Amino acid sequence: MINVVIAGYARSPFTLANKGALARVRPDDLAAQVVAALVERTGVSPKDIEDLIVGCAFPEGEQGLNVGRLIGLLAGLPQSVGGMTVNRFCGSSMQSVHIAAGMIQLGAGDAFIAAGVESMSRVPMMGFNPLPNPALNALVPGAYIGMGDTAENVAQKWHISRAEQEAFAVRSQRRAAAAQQGGYFKDEIVPIKSKDGIVDQDGCLRPATTAEGLAQLKPAFDQKGSVTAGTSSPLTDGASAVLVCSEDYARQHGLPALARLRSVALAGCAPEIMGIGPVAASLKALKRAGITMSAIDVVELNEAFASQSLACARDLEVRDETLNIDGGAIALGHPLGATGARIVGKAASLLKRTGGRYALATQCIGGGQGIATILERI
Amino acid sequence: MEPIKQAAVIGAGVMGAGIAAQFANAGVPVLLLDVVPSGATDRNVLAAGAIAKMLTTEPAPFMAARAAKLVTPGNIDDHLARLAECDWIVEAVVERLDVKKALYRKIDAVRRPGTAISSNTSTIPLHLLTDGLGEAFARDFLITHFFNPPRYMRLLEIVTGRHTDPQLALSVGDFADRVLGKSIVRCKDTPGFIANRLGVYWMQVSVVEAIDAGITVEEADAVIGRPMGIPKTGVFGLLDLIGLDLMPHINASLAKALPADDAFHAANRELPLIEKMIADGYTGRKGKGGFYRLNREGGRKTKEAIDLASGAYRAENQRELPELAGAAKDLRGLLGADNKLGRYAWRVLGQTLSYAASLVPEAADDLSSIDEAMRLGYNWQWGPFELIDKLGAGWVAEKLAKDGFAVPPLLRAARDTSFYRIEAGRREALGVDGAYHAVERADGVLMLEDIKRVAKPVLKNASAAVWDVGDGVLCFEFTSKSNSLDAEIIALLGKTIAVLPERHKALVIYNEGQNFSVGANLGLAIFAANIAAWGEIDKLLRAGQQTYNALKYAPFPVVSAPAGMALGGGCEILLHSDAVQAHAESYIGLVECGAGVVPAWGGCKEMLTRWSVSGKLPRGPMPAASKVFETVSTATVSKSAAHAKELLFLRPDDGITMNRYRLLADAKALALRLAENYVAPQPVEIKLPGASGRLGFTMAVESFHQRGLATDHDRVVGGELAGVLSGGTTDPILPVTEEQLSSLERDAFMRLMKTEGTLARIEHLLVTGKPLRN
Repeated sequence: MINVVIAGYARSPFTLANKGALARVRPDDLAAQVVAALVERTGVSPKDIEDLIVGCAFPEGEQGLNVGRLIGLLAGLPQSVGGMTVNRFCGSSMQSVHIAAGMIQLGAGDAFIAAGVESMSRVPMMGFNPLPNPALNALVPGAYIGMGDTAENVAQKWHISRAEQEAFAVRSQRRAAAAQQGGYFKDEIVPIKSKDGIVDQDGCLRPATTAEGLAQLKPAFDQKGSVTAGTSSPLTDGASAVLVCSEDYARQHGLPALARLRSVALAGCAPEIMGIGPVAASLKALKRAGITMSAIDVVELNEAFASQSLACARDLEVRDETLNIDGGAIALGHPLGATGARIVGKAASLLKRTGGRYALATQCIGGGQGIATILERI
Repeated sequence: MEPIKQAAVIGAGVMGAGIAAQFANAGVPVLLLDVVPSGATDRNVLAAGAIAKMLTTEPAPFMAARAAKLVTPGNIDDHLARLAECDWIVEAVVERLDVKKALYRKIDAVRRPGTAISSNTSTIPLHLLTDGLGEAFARDFLITHFFNPPRYMRLLEIVTGRHTDPQLALSVGDFADRVLGKSIVRCKDTPGFIANRLGVYWMQVSVVEAIDAGITVEEADAVIGRPMGIPKTGVFGLLDLIGLDLMPHINASLAKALPADDAFHAANRELPLIEKMIADGYTGRKGKGGFYRLNREGGRKTKEAIDLASGAYRAENQRELPELAGAAKDLRGLLGADNKLGRYAWRVLGQTLSYAASLVPEAADDLSSIDEAMRLGYNWQWGPFELIDKLGAGWVAEKLAKDGFAVPPLLRAARDTSFYRIEAGRREALGVDGAYHAVERADGVLMLEDIKRVAKPVLKNASAAVWDVGDGVLCFEFTSKSNSLDAEIIALLGKTIAVLPERHKALVIYNEGQNFSVGANLGLAIFAANIAAWGEIDKLLRAGQQTYNALKYAPFPVVSAPAGMALGGGCEILLHSDAVQAHAESYIGLVECGAGVVPAWGGCKEMLTRWSVSGKLPRGPMPAASKVFETVSTATVSKSAAHAKELLFLRPDDGITMNRYRLLADAKALALRLAENYVAPQPVEIKLPGASGRLGFTMAVESFHQRGLATDHDRVVGGELAGVLSGGTTDPILPVTEEQLSSLERDAFMRLMKTEGTLARIEHLLVTGKPLRN
């Protein structure tokens, strides 16, 4: 079996949709700057890249027309490099990594860029023309359920109180703020050129968040519910990319590999509780890697909502000190298509930073799915 | 003087900032300057802060948020040189002569000679302001006194001095009239000019008389409000709005400036209660409260009013006063009534009218200026001389004399006649020379009121009339209560469309009511529903749709000219017109959902078409329908004509008239322009999402319901609206015709009329005037 490694990770700053500093940047321009920077930073020879695989949850408008190919052209990759767009909603760019790994193991290429992008400012969630199928809605009422509603369902079913969710959100904000102050985002962030100048800082963080402040917020999705804007990830603009290549290729070309891919998995679940998707996916991936949760030193569990993060962490028995060490999406933001590559890249670089052996990156996916990746330090 | 293309306002207080906003509303870039506060890091903080604050103030000083971009903040230390680029400089700084004059010297050093400089002073005479500043300055200087809030108050008092260049004053006045939309009243350089001279006297008398007679604040406001045609805030509510703390300053400055024999002095007495209220922070709505306050103690909101004798707050008394029954129709009866309220009403109004009559020729050359000033500066329905005419000048003079009040010479001269008369269809007013003189309109103004005085309607029935406004243009006027739309209006509109081409070439739909139209008369619909006369409702729906369509496809141009509210069916008339010439203060919306129904006289159809062909939205079947769903399901009403363009109730190239008096003339001119080579529009077919779009909308409504933002019946109404706006059972690849949409509108309307929730909404609306959130 050919070993696959993550040999580089970069992302744009993540900023609030509509009011943030990247709202007026086209998503293709945004992702192209990240891809170009990744190539430059890793030193990979562009002509060796087989394909650019871009995850995007709403691939239309400025992120339509097979944006993966267009980003490659914008980034100045040789025209011989392919380009594709992948949609698995929030799992899109983790799926990009999985596709790249699969291709490498098939012998269908040595080096891939797995990227993701979402401008939630410029392409609304649901897209410009949401046309749900009434017959499916009748058959599977949860098929089109709103994400906030699923967070409420998980909170209820897993008995996650509002106070617990708020404490988790404060934790995320604290960790992200500490990481920002500690300079831990510096290496991964690519400064982005915008019409109003260079954007090089994350824009979603609210370091002053307190549990008391969060307790004042109104429920965002259900007036009788417990989920608020403060315990949900914000609408975000951002792009991310990782370099995926065979371990041999990395060694031969002197690329500094961060981590080796040990296993990947996908699992479906009821759409109404999509937030619990990471549990089944992670258990499958652990089994495939031949390890248990106790062996995992670094967990990147995407914080779509505090309620589902807590439910997953509890069911998976995640140790608190391993979970989202530099904060999660509640603080950093969640540009749907870009999150997967971010948390894989983050998990890989955290293995290197912490000296841990195994890392798990996992996330929930609208419609009722989970996706997971297990990495091993080299 | 150069045309005014760039303005400056100095002083970013409430008035200065509000004046700057009105320049911006008119599309004129304006520099807003103030001082640099000591220690400020942002040297423009006062002006920038004022602009930011105005974006959240209600009522909004800006007509559209984007107007704020036309106001450039600055400060007088760093940016005074930029006044050289300005064609009109308005000073609105603190009311201190020394401060103003020091500023004028600085301005004079940098401005281009010949540019207008005006002060917004309300208390300092012009001759003091220009004293010692040189001839060139005095030539370009005048007083332009705006009223608060500058966007909404239509009055602008202009005072010129002996040295003011008449041509410059004319240019400023013309600009303020046509571009800023203000109506100009020329005043003499006397204390308080006109509106505040009389207004402050009236407020002072009202307060003093109430205290003396033991009248409560609620009684005083009820007596002074509706019966006298004065806004329902009366006097105490108005003082709360103005700010009690301002009054001692204004009173003192008037007292200082007015001659010793002026009647103001008798009324201007010290009022310990008000002094104590100000000292305690009860300065009105901007403070802790005023004569009225909202007591939030114990988590409940209780409306309270002050006891004028003890100074203690107590629950507001909202009961109807039997003494005032019929007073609005019989003011003379109220003033003559031998009871406490009647005597109070008379003492206040009698003295006020007497004082008004004493102001000609001292403060104004003609009495009609005083009436205009009080109508537009204080929102009185009738000016003081119009009130005297209503009461009878002889009756007023006699009663004043009997009670020992002054009867000024002008009132004596009118005692056997009236202040106004109609002569050969023209309105004339009595002059100090004892002769009648025509009340002139500003150049180019065309008022239906004037036309109606001399002409007979071309067509007429119980709810509408058609007038010939000249040059081949007919004007269709609603005459029903609140200009609500009914079968009579629809019938006369149909008839007008049929006969117009015989002798005329264009139609203007316009009226001079407070509101263009508040919508269809739902009382008729509910009457029919209560007796299950569904056929009648269907007939009215069809008649409306057919007539509005006939209007749209008529072989002549139709221009609608709304001012005030144009809601529901009133909005739908605009949507079917070839063009709209709207007054800047037009509040337009399809509010049917609030009444539990959907727009069914073509409102859905026209809005869908507008957004579909607008080119402003992404392609595909959903965006236009979504936009309309968002606007109509929430019963959104535009906050101005500029905002109505954003909502597409108005098209981008529809006209906006700033001055209410010029609306008909502008609409007529637009209609005549369209009449040249006029070609009627062609029907447009659009594509809509069908069942999947309906599901999308329904899901959105459900989510709103779950969040507590939509009520139970909103789900029902929203569901029906979703059905119409998604095009029913259409397929996204098939075109939808206007007929299909009309039929979807009717069917949805009829189904909703058969629900209890909708009937409850309509009944509630008819009884209370407010929407029911069931």
